[in-house]
Amino acid sequence: MRLGKLTAGVALLCGAAALPAQGPTYVIRGGTVVPVVGANIPNGIVVISNGRIQAVGANVTSPAGATVIDATGLFVFPGMIDAGTQLGLTESGSVPGSEDTREIGDFNPQNVALTAVNAHSELIPVTRVNGVTTVITSATGGLMSGSAALMDLLGWTADEMAVKPRAAMVMTYPSTGGGGGGFGGGGFGQNQPSAAERRETMNRQVRELRQFLADARSYAAVKSKLGADAADGPRVNQKMEALIPVVRGEMPVIFDVNSADQIRGVLTLADSFKLKVIIRGARDAWRLADTLAARAIPVIVGPTTQAPGADDPYDMLYAQPGALAKAGVKIAFQTSDASNSRNLPYNVALASAYGLDSTEAIKSITINPAQMFGVADRYGSIEAGKVANIVVTTGDPLDVRSTVKHLFIRGMKVPLTDRHTDLYEQFRARPKP
Amino acid sequence: MTSGIGRVPAEGGWGESGIGPVGRVAAAALSIAGFAVAAPLHAQATGAARPPAAAPAQGAAAPTLDLTAVSLPVPPAGRLVAITNATIMTASRGTIPKGTILIRDGKIAAVGADVQVPAGAKVIDANGKYVTPGIIDAHSHSAAEAINEGTLSITSMVRMEDVLRQDGVSLYRQLAGGTTTLNILHGSANTIGGQNAVVKLRYGLPVDSLLFEGAPPGIKFALGENVRQTNRNLQAGQQGRYPRTRMGVEDLLRDAFTRAQEYQREWQQYEQRRRTLSGAARAALIPPKRDLELDPLVEILEGKRLVHCHSYRADEILMMLRVAKDFGFRVASFQHVLEGYKVADELAKAGSGASTFADNWAYKMEAWDAIPHNAALMAERGVVVTINSDSDERARRLYQEAAKAMHYGGTSEEEALKMITLNAAKQLGIEKRVGSIEVGKDADLAIFTNHPFAPSSRVDMTIIDGRVFFDRSTSPTLEHLIEQMRARQRPRVTSEEQ
Repeated sequence: MRLGKLTAGVALLCGAAALPAQGPTYVIRGGTVVPVVGANIPNGIVVISNGRIQAVGANVTSPAGATVIDATGLFVFPGMIDAGTQLGLTESGSVPGSEDTREIGDFNPQNVALTAVNAHSELIPVTRVNGVTTVITSATGGLMSGSAALMDLLGWTADEMAVKPRAAMVMTYPSTGGGGGGFGGGGFGQNQPSAAERRETMNRQVRELRQFLADARSYAAVKSKLGADAADGPRVNQKMEALIPVVRGEMPVIFDVNSADQIRGVLTLADSFKLKVIIRGARDAWRLADTLAARAIPVIVGPTTQAPGADDPYDMLYAQPGALAKAGVKIAFQTSDASNSRNLPYNVALASAYGLDSTEAIKSITINPAQMFGVADRYGSIEAGKVANIVVTTGDPLDVRSTVKHLFIRGMKVPLTDRHTDLYEQFRARPKP
Repeated sequence: MTSGIGRVPAEGGWGESGIGPVGRVAAAALSIAGFAVAAPLHAQATGAARPPAAAPAQGAAAPTLDLTAVSLPVPPAGRLVAITNATIMTASRGTIPKGTILIRDGKIAAVGADVQVPAGAKVIDANGKYVTPGIIDAHSHSAAEAINEGTLSITSMVRMEDVLRQDGVSLYRQLAGGTTTLNILHGSANTIGGQNAVVKLRYGLPVDSLLFEGAPPGIKFALGENVRQTNRNLQAGQQGRYPRTRMGVEDLLRDAFTRAQEYQREWQQYEQRRRTLSGAARAALIPPKRDLELDPLVEILEGKRLVHCHSYRADEILMMLRVAKDFGFRVASFQHVLEGYKVADELAKAGSGASTFADNWAYKMEAWDAIPHNAALMAERGVVVTINSDSDERARRLYQEAAKAMHYGGTSEEEALKMITLNAAKQLGIEKRVGSIEVGKDADLAIFTNHPFAPSSRVDMTIIDGRVFFDRSTSPTLEHLIEQMRARQRPRVTSEEQ
């Protein structure tokens, strides 16, 4: 258990709401502070205590007794946020016993991803040592996969890690591609459904999805009319209960989609049910960039490390984030994976090489996702009062050649060790023959 | 409209020096000097080592491909080209901050800071840009109609070059990532898999012209979970295939090479007797039965065929090294070799290369101890290391993958670059031809907008044999597509949509 390596005597993490009441005070000084909101501060100072950023600036007084981190020649960034991963829900893809990513059935809004997050997954330290401090993790598949958790990558338990235990509902809009429906995907070569059959399945799934949301809307309406404790109200239905904040427009819905048709379907659904939607994956979002910008619908792009469709331009997935940002769409990035979540900044780097402005690039993995999930008051930038998730690097975090020198999550200085560095050190020390 | 092929450039201006964007020109250009086309596959001796493919001489009666009837996108030959003002990362002799590369007939004729540009040369001004050797992917399954002959555990008789195809858009996208040479391997379903094919990404040419003429032949071996088929569910009534354990894998290898030695002896005895006889007696001598399974294994024993061995765990790597030692051959490269860092000294001592992923891990049990420091640590202990793709997608960004060796293991910049260029050439036995920017080598180059490891860097141009096979300025990009759609004032409705 890697948390054991944290400095002894440090007040340990409390729950999402209650940050550590006390802890050491750190002063990071001498580095270039990139607050993300506002101009960079050369030779800046960041003061951290009680889990929060207490002060930021060029002329900040260091509190007495603080531990000073010399960041001369280094860069100070907010921790990065992966807006789509299965971190904590899977250990190894070929070991079914380690997988909690896909439930049976198409409608599971009642499932809470945080429930299955293994706080002691070896993948978590591996991810955070690259500067990814916060993630949206969720199950996938079906039409409603359940709620996603927004969590910091540090904590003795999943509850301690949680920033927002139920940050968004995850849904998949039906398509003819066979994805999302959860009907087994067919086999190789045989019993492949025809185009007409696939279209029929898609239409049926759209009807089911709409019906389910309509039911939830009625359920929520009855509940409001009767009041929460009414004895003669409808029987408690866990699936419906889970959707109440969704149909009230309080909880955002992440829609995993790809095609322009699916995105249009989501927009129609959002209009019908007054949903607060976030489009994710969205290979074809660039075709609807103007619409998405005008409607202020955010898009979580990525992973960029995928092959574009056969008829797409070679640079489609690299260039789409820049095209969306240019059109005025707010974007964030996902890795859509657990073992590759550590590659979040390098996904963004590929987009920055193909037209995503470097300032937008950093925003898309810090303040933008914080805004999408309603935590921008606490996350996504280096500002006084915010949670002290901070990465001190040798350079641009998007640059593979840069390395992380110091890592803070909720004001705790996290050791830059993981299963991989342990094995590295172990075998590096193997005596030469 | 958007698939693969470059936009046809405006006519004119390229002239005799002939470097230019991919355009549609007559296929007669195939026989232009500086561009060798492999001999037709079917003319080759079955089962024997591939003879060096002949380049059809200009105007000679040598076997040429009669393709005058078809029109193919053949880039003009790179007869005399100068890339000027470039930061040249040679991969073998450091970096030249502002230099010129002179290409003559598809070969690098001069490199340096003070190279004079001869009159008549086509000049590519690479001011502010970086030039690297063309990237070599030491593990690919591109351009192949099939990957795995999985019914037997020894399929040394099958050959990837028999199933090569122009993958169209996939090859083009790899070119767009600066990749110029691929080691196309058989899959990992069997202990001894099929024979490999080393190709250059001569996108748009007939499929036979992909072959890297003169590359030493190789073969795929595989160990571990894939060979044991333990991640595969048997159908009802289907019987499991031997071997099912790592002990079985070793037995299979030893048995195969024992049979190969006996077969080799039979042929040696036959050849010996044949030499002592003459006339009718010699004619009456019956040769041993040709065995297409064992021929390639004999070539391995004779050092004529390179073994590229898929492997994960340290124990199976050591087993393979023991078997190779006992039968007197060298494993040219261990592929994946995710636990290579645990036995780096043994690999270095055996002279075996290691071709690994930058940071893939956790996708199966045998990838559980995979660490992203693998490449760096093996290199530190003296192993010739490459970083490969094993994926059409990853092959588009191997430059970013290589930089991970710097990130995790503190590998130097030049060593990281070698891991996708010169070291790969060494593992494939083609280092005299490609892998670094040196006089006399093939003009296979990638031009980047910035340092290849920098986050804002992308490939502007990819050159093979002095010819431009990828040029972003004439490529169908997303930006170009959006411009076109906006020009038509139909920004959201296109025929490309599903």
